[in-house]
Amino acid sequence: MKQYLKVAFILFAICAVSAILLAAVNQITAPYIEYNTMQTTAAALDAVSGGYTQGEHLEGNGDNINYIVPLYDGDELAGYILELSTSGYGGEIVMAASYRLDGTVISSKVMSDDETPGLGKNAEESWYMAMFEGLGGEGRPLPESKNDLADPSVVSGASVTFAGVSSAIRSGSEYVKSLGR
Amino acid sequence: MSHMKELTKGIFRENPTFIIMLGMCPTLGVTTQVFNAFGMGASVLFVLLGSNIFISALRKVIPDSIRIPAYIVVIASFVTIVEMVLHAFVPAVFNALGVYLPLIVVNCIILGRAEAFANKNTVLDSALDAVGMGIGFTLALSLIAAIREIIGNGTITLFNLSETQRFVITIPGLSESPVRVLTLAAGALLVMGYLKAFFTWNSERRAARGGRV
Repeated sequence: MKQYLKVAFILFAICAVSAILLAAVNQITAPYIEYNTMQTTAAALDAVSGGYTQGEHLEGNGDNINYIVPLYDGDELAGYILELSTSGYGGEIVMAASYRLDGTVISSKVMSDDETPGLGKNAEESWYMAMFEGLGGEGRPLPESKNDLADPSVVSGASVTFAGVSSAIRSGSEYVKSLGR
Repeated sequence: MSHMKELTKGIFRENPTFIIMLGMCPTLGVTTQVFNAFGMGASVLFVLLGSNIFISALRKVIPDSIRIPAYIVVIASFVTIVEMVLHAFVPAVFNALGVYLPLIVVNCIILGRAEAFANKNTVLDSALDAVGMGIGFTLALSLIAAIREIIGNGTITLFNLSETQRFVITIPGLSESPVRVLTLAAGALLVMGYLKAFFTWNSERRAARGGRV
């Protein structure tokens, strides 16, 4: 019995020291991480705003749209930015996409992901997201699979990532259309 | 064995990737770009160094029956520290490494060196073993990544933090018509197989000559 207690105490002590060490590092790094996240979000919203003025953040649909930001051209509503969540190969992908009122994609950008470097992580590149720009409106459908692309080889090895990103952008487009003008 | 041999054995003679064949999952997964190999190698080196030093220092305290859970706690703590520090101070590298960073916890090289070396040797020798193995792992990853990226994409990415902060060498000819399969999972296995065959052939050749394997 004494031996079991000794072993348990040693393991407890190692866990306790690790926990204290991690808490100390977290105490130091947490404010920087929070600041970085806010900066990333603000930069992504600015990047996809298309030069329009951003309005107040509104609630999303409680599903894959986290929040909505109306875009204004002067006093006139010009479109929306949506923060979208979707599933990729490595887990959740969070992205910002802006749309005109008819559902046409203005611009989009991946904000965070855990995709494979060199493959799915290409979704972070501007050329990747440019594949969706100008699509989604009347008579200009968004791609549903990589076979709808002019050059499917650009997403080779990362079909799951492409499916996740394209489905999120399509659902965002449909949502904006449903909001009406 | 001298301290210098402890340091150098992991680089060539007992290279963790080509000779001991440990850490194959990140080796195959992350070697799509040379920059990823540098980042992964540096992260593994730091975690290996920290865990080897701690486990070696505690080797007379940790009972045999709980050594594996104790090692996992130490290794997971170091990986979490690396994650938090990178996320806070170098977010671009944190994003570039993606899912491979937390996966260092289950990297066989780290647990393997703790079990095979650090719990039987002094702190100094364990630290030198960690540095040698970390450098050997980084060099192996860089070699595989260079072959895959040059032939599979026609580029060498030496630095890649964002679209505006990157240094990529483009190789004329190959970049226009690359052998794309090498950037895919099958290409990783092919390159790893050929390199393993080469290192095995080289070891046997040296042994036949009477040199050291």
